[in-house]
Amino acid sequence: MNNKGFNLHDALFIGFCATLLVALKGMLRLKLGLSGHSMFLMSFFYLICYGAVGKNGAISLCGLLAGMMAMTLGIGKGGPLLLLKFGLPAIAMDICLLLLPSLLALKWRCIILALVATIAWASKGLIEGLLVGLSAQVVALQFAKSLLFGSLFALLAAMLVPPVLERLRSHDLIDREEI
Amino acid sequence: MALVRLSQIHFNFQTAAQPLFEDLNLTIAPGECHLIHGYTGCGKSTLLKLLLGILERPWEGEREIAEGATLGVVMQDPNVQLLRQTLGAEVAFALENLGVASNEMLLQVRSALRRVGLYISLDTPIASLSLGQRYRLMIAAQLVLEPDLLLLDEPWAQLDDQGVAELSAVLNQLKQQGVALLIVEHHRGVFKDLVTHRWQLSQGKLHGVAPAQAEASPSQECWRESPAWPQGEAVIDSHGFTLAFHERQKLFDAESLLLFPGEIAALVGDNGCGKSTLLKSLAGIQADIDPLGIKVFGKKPKLGRFGADLALLHQRPSRQLFENTVIEEIQFSLRRFGLPLEWAIELLGQLGLTTLARHSPHTLSYGQQHLIALASLACFRPKLLLLDDPFAGLDEHFTSKIVALLLELSRQGTAIVVASHRPIAELPIDRLWRVADARLECFGMATACEKQAYSRVG
Amino acid sequence: MWARRGGRAPIICRPKRHFVINDVRWCALALLLVLGLSSGAFLLPQTWLHYLALINLLLLVQGRYLGGRLKGLLVIFTSQLAITSLLYLLLHGVERLPEGITAVCRILMAMIPGWWLSIACSPQRIGEVLSHCLPHKWTFVLAACFGILPYLGQETREIYQMQVMRGANIRLKSLWRPRHWHELIYCVLYPLLIQLLKLSKQMATAARLRQFGRHPKPTHWPF
Repeated sequence: MNNKGFNLHDALFIGFCATLLVALKGMLRLKLGLSGHSMFLMSFFYLICYGAVGKNGAISLCGLLAGMMAMTLGIGKGGPLLLLKFGLPAIAMDICLLLLPSLLALKWRCIILALVATIAWASKGLIEGLLVGLSAQVVALQFAKSLLFGSLFALLAAMLVPPVLERLRSHDLIDREEI
Repeated sequence: MALVRLSQIHFNFQTAAQPLFEDLNLTIAPGECHLIHGYTGCGKSTLLKLLLGILERPWEGEREIAEGATLGVVMQDPNVQLLRQTLGAEVAFALENLGVASNEMLLQVRSALRRVGLYISLDTPIASLSLGQRYRLMIAAQLVLEPDLLLLDEPWAQLDDQGVAELSAVLNQLKQQGVALLIVEHHRGVFKDLVTHRWQLSQGKLHGVAPAQAEASPSQECWRESPAWPQGEAVIDSHGFTLAFHERQKLFDAESLLLFPGEIAALVGDNGCGKSTLLKSLAGIQADIDPLGIKVFGKKPKLGRFGADLALLHQRPSRQLFENTVIEEIQFSLRRFGLPLEWAIELLGQLGLTTLARHSPHTLSYGQQHLIALASLACFRPKLLLLDDPFAGLDEHFTSKIVALLLELSRQGTAIVVASHRPIAELPIDRLWRVADARLECFGMATACEKQAYSRVG
Repeated sequence: MWARRGGRAPIICRPKRHFVINDVRWCALALLLVLGLSSGAFLLPQTWLHYLALINLLLLVQGRYLGGRLKGLLVIFTSQLAITSLLYLLLHGVERLPEGITAVCRILMAMIPGWWLSIACSPQRIGEVLSHCLPHKWTFVLAACFGILPYLGQETREIYQMQVMRGANIRLKSLWRPRHWHELIYCVLYPLLIQLLKLSKQMATAARLRQFGRHPKPTHWPF
């Protein structure tokens, strides 16, 4: 992982991943009425960004761009709150990456990042619940439900990402030695 | 005074056994037009990248550009070069990046658009332009930078005959204004009136080609001498329909459409006339059109309804490749449809691609990827094969391989529809479906000959 | 940069929509208003909630009048209400139920302004407002993202159709079984990622060849 700025190619790829995430979310909404399914798409695209771009901040940028696009296109009906919905898990992943040893196998890195993203995503619900005045027990139960289902979907995505990245690298489509 | 000079260029890809360029030399002066021919994958596009200074891998030799000279380029697919949504904004993009004051942009943008003959509103959405217009728009977007040399990557393959004629007129005018042109094109005999220097890129060098050697017969349909006589039930059957998008202008009217097993039909018409839409409708995957009433295998077409009986090759078919090896890619459908896996090996042998069986499809050349994508459909021997522009960007070598494959499938009873914007001279056909003036007309060999004789007398 | 793209409408943009806010400044104000109202739903004391509810009701009426659909909001509201009421009944009994209902109403009031924004403001104008807050490179990226949205939708659809016709088990009814998701990732998302990698490279090259990033203060096409 290096900290050099993003070139235009990287920036466009991050943007296109965010676009695809929002487009798929728009296509699948209401079709999959399962709680936490959005963590599958979010984890998948954020981790792909991390693997393909390999620079600090790539995930946060993808999350913020996805939030802006979703807000602009009216997907998710949260208005400016969508920035938090997409941005918070992404920022949590990037912060976690600063602490995560890079020697750890990619599979485990992806799993840890996906779980961190789920905690951030579920925490957003927890804070919202407390702010609107739900009782502590109800909030805790909803938090646990989000954490459980969100983690399942996020883990599924995290397991799929390393083989996809490995395949992209072996076909000369990305050039990141550390992956 | 040379504008650009390449001397003793050596370059090879890491994986390639033979160098792509070996002692390659080229000198271009103002007002010249160089046309470079070459087979698919011989390095034409790489040469353009080298000229532009954007080749990422190391190379040897000298590249000299006259002081202050500017280069412009229109890539193979102009769509990937279009960065804005309206005509004016697209042309102004380079001016914005140079920091030209907003009030000075309008004049320069209008002048560039006039030079390419685009007299339409600056607010026109790019999505509403034809491919030929987009190509000229891309040239205008380069002209605001006042390029001394304009590079064009295979324009003939993308454009229909009208688009090529419009482009030729624009290029002629630019050449007269002193702009040097370099066109890479595998098809011979195009831009005849324009070219001052012709080259053949082969074995890493540019070899001069005499104009007489470069002549090629114009594209004309080729009828099958021993046609496949109608046998069995019609595969495609319609008694007339109108192809139109919901609440929008119609694309064309057709009286009737018939295709029997083993027959090959050519669907020919200009860009944007509705060929792809018709093919998708036949496959049952075009969503926003009015009902057509066409029957395929006696049923209304729907995605997934016909299983292994129907296959459609989209444009840019390499998009569908995803497996680790060529053999896995071809065997994918055989596994899903429960067919013998040996058919894949047989087909690779037939296409002379056995040596590539264990290669990654993504590391192959454009032509090879195209062929693998077609093979991945042909291997399950569908009863109806629909092909959308299957010869785009392919040279004679790959074209002949595809033609041989299609004729073999036809012998086995597959009905085939091939869409293209000009007739394919190499592919013998039984039926011609021509779209012109919002009408689809159907010809067999007899009716086509009659019509030709009539027009000669007329 | 944010002019509306012609041709086929993007897959997730609603057709026949009339946007009442088409000016950048008004749009920026609307964004701030929405932010304020949504935050208000979380932070305002109970006594102020009636006023907030009234404003949200007005937004609902106007949004509906402008052609917005209430179905999505209703589905979220009723499902939230059902789950929360059930939890309150189980955990606290019927006497604390109004507390739960109020909380769900607050969540609804946090969503209504965002719903109204997507109906009243054109996406182009929202994008333009956002672009003022971003550096030039990211403005270009955001514009490119909106530009490729219809293309991306079409590309996704075509690759999906190609693979279904090749026999892939990725039709909607197959996707109810998570074991087929693997196939969806490899047949559809993986080729799409390859397309995105190629496209981002090609567009970056095209922009660089047209002097992108050369001038420290790029100007803007005035129309």
